[in-house]
Amino acid sequence: MSLTPASYRHRLPLSLSVAAVVTAVSMALSLGLQTLDNLREDQGRNALRLGHAMSEVLVQALLHDDVWLAYSLLRGPEKDAADATWIVIDAGQRVFASNRPQHFRLDQPLEGALPWLPVAASTSDAPVPALVRSIERQDDGTRRVLRLTLASEGGPVGELIALLSDRPFLARFREILVGGVLVTAAVLAVLLPVGWLWGRRMASPLMQLAACMARVGTEDARQLRCQVPESDSEIGQLGRQFSAMLAALAEKDALEQQMLQAERLAAVGRVAAGVAHEVNNPLGGMLMAIDTYRQGQVLDARTARLLDLIDRALQQIRGSVSALLVEARGDSRTLAPTDLEDVRTLVQPKLARSGVGLDWNVSLASALDLPAAPVRQLLLNLLLNAIEAAEPGGAVRVEAGSDGSQLAVRVENPGRPIPAEQLAHLFEPYPEQRPHAQGLGLWICYQIASQLGGQIRVASSAERTGFQVELPLGTEEAP
Amino acid sequence: MLTRRDLLRAIGLLGISPSGWCEPIATGAAQDPSAGERPALRFGLTPVILDDRVAFLRLWASWLERQLARPVVFIQRARYREIMDLLLRGGLDLAWICGYPYVQHRRELSLIAVPRFQGQPKYRSYVIVGADSSFTALRDLQGRLFAWSDPDSNSGYLYPRFALLEQGLDPDRFFRRTFFTWGHRHAVEAVAEGLADGAAVDSYVWETLARRVPALTERTRIILRSPLFGFPPLAGAPGLAEPDLKAIRQVLLRQDQDPIGRQLLDELNLDGFAPARPALFDDIAAMAARLDAGRRT
Repeated sequence: MSLTPASYRHRLPLSLSVAAVVTAVSMALSLGLQTLDNLREDQGRNALRLGHAMSEVLVQALLHDDVWLAYSLLRGPEKDAADATWIVIDAGQRVFASNRPQHFRLDQPLEGALPWLPVAASTSDAPVPALVRSIERQDDGTRRVLRLTLASEGGPVGELIALLSDRPFLARFREILVGGVLVTAAVLAVLLPVGWLWGRRMASPLMQLAACMARVGTEDARQLRCQVPESDSEIGQLGRQFSAMLAALAEKDALEQQMLQAERLAAVGRVAAGVAHEVNNPLGGMLMAIDTYRQGQVLDARTARLLDLIDRALQQIRGSVSALLVEARGDSRTLAPTDLEDVRTLVQPKLARSGVGLDWNVSLASALDLPAAPVRQLLLNLLLNAIEAAEPGGAVRVEAGSDGSQLAVRVENPGRPIPAEQLAHLFEPYPEQRPHAQGLGLWICYQIASQLGGQIRVASSAERTGFQVELPLGTEEAP
Repeated sequence: MLTRRDLLRAIGLLGISPSGWCEPIATGAAQDPSAGERPALRFGLTPVILDDRVAFLRLWASWLERQLARPVVFIQRARYREIMDLLLRGGLDLAWICGYPYVQHRRELSLIAVPRFQGQPKYRSYVIVGADSSFTALRDLQGRLFAWSDPDSNSGYLYPRFALLEQGLDPDRFFRRTFFTWGHRHAVEAVAEGLADGAAVDSYVWETLARRVPALTERTRIILRSPLFGFPPLAGAPGLAEPDLKAIRQVLLRQDQDPIGRQLLDELNLDGFAPARPALFDDIAAMAARLDAGRRT
């Protein structure tokens, strides 16, 4: 298992988790900033409202020079915990009252108390509308200033100034922020595992596919059994494509194998035929010489016995060699339905001896354009083989039929399967793995099928082994 | 400060029906059935005492009602002068006023009783400054901010001005700026909170605050204690009938002998009430005359 972040197994869940974290954090951050903004706005609005509410009494206080009235109004019920610093200045630009009397002393000139404050608004003839203005942050934390002209009917009598800072709601803001962080953490605690699992689930088909692909090339395509993702997604399509590719690979491998086998068998056939011809020619001469010699003179008993011995040995060699040399095209008689029935009759004694049944399904209506003798031999060989391989009590099944273009014959027997390594060499003469068998039966079948331009195939499963032969009609003149 | 529960318990203690207890003090006290048809006694209060304790005043009014067998109504005003106007024009039957306005109207007003504070019917004026400040004497406050209690107060206005005059200083120009806080408690707050550098207050109010709200008085420091003056008296209106005056005086003089009256006096931080003669306030009258003379010259 690779642990590099290049793998989608980690990259996908990681991306989902990162997306969740980034979303949660940015949400919390933007909400926090929005809250801060709202708190500031509220503060300004509240200060403005409070300023307007106090202005009438403050005008009274200014007109009557009642410092205590103005002070007791400004200091309010909160005293030390006041939200803002309130200052009332009189028409002479001097501090008249403040809720921070130790900072802003009675009678102190405004320029001395707040040197950074722009020129007073109340000096102009027309009262400036009250508003909260943001200023550069001062040392005491002041960020916004409210200026409200206190005017009676005769004109301005003073001004109310509020210095607003973030301090009053910073604790609340921090509380909100901490709450937001906690909620975010809680949401993430749920989202992260879910995202992780989800990502794993999304990546798992890819993993499956990747694992399958890694096996291609190292394992035989025909034996490769892979679970590929099944879905309509792109990964599913990929899986289907991959399955199709695997199937094509397996088919190609099988074809190659088949061609290889066919070539090998053809080579073996050529060698066998060549050797048979080379042996047959001198053999015929030798036999003829012996015959001539016998007829020409009277032989003593010893010589006659020796000649008989030589003659028999030569006849045996000829028999063996002609067995190798299959001649399928010599016979010109066409195949009649009775030919097949003959084969059925011929195997009856062997069936009886082996205790094996026969399931005969042959449906041939008329004669076929195929040489009779090789087809008879082919069917007989296959049938004898099948009876041999079938276990007692079983039944050999024979099917034969023609669709007008070819003759199809199928011979099946129940019994032990043929191992794969044997299947590869099944049609060779004298197969290594079956030393006890006669050895040429299937070789002859193969030669006949090849020479008639047809095919012979074997399929062996756990319970049945079957031979399928297809012979094209009317291809007598095939090479 | 009395809580609501304390109040209810005290009402139970006094056997008062709670039916009328939530009515404002100034508009009418509980209508005791025994009070009969007699008009309510109108009792004016000024900030010579801590008159912001509504619950306590209600209890005292109830007690007085039971003693006098007639309704008692406390009437409060922020400024001495308003109470004085009401008292002189028949709006009140009696009032607890300062010695200074009393001596100004001695001829019209009758003296009912004078409270006894720390064993005697006398008190002083304190000049206080911030606890952390460096001032040690009245003279140090030159060119500073100073808070008066009330222009009709002896301890919070008359005496400090007199003291400055005695030292050859002009009370109107000695300080950079002065203002009135309309109450001794406010004057203490003005100094404690830094609004004023100094203030003149009633010793009785300051000492009572020191007992009740020590956190406030601890932020102030006394730099001058005046001689003893007659305690702010309870004065009868010009139209107060003699029998009523005597009845009220009798109730007040005996308040310290009644268990509940004793508790109420404890709340007031007073020992009791004593009969007094107008001569008790001669010192104040002399100071007032001296200042008037100073102003005229």
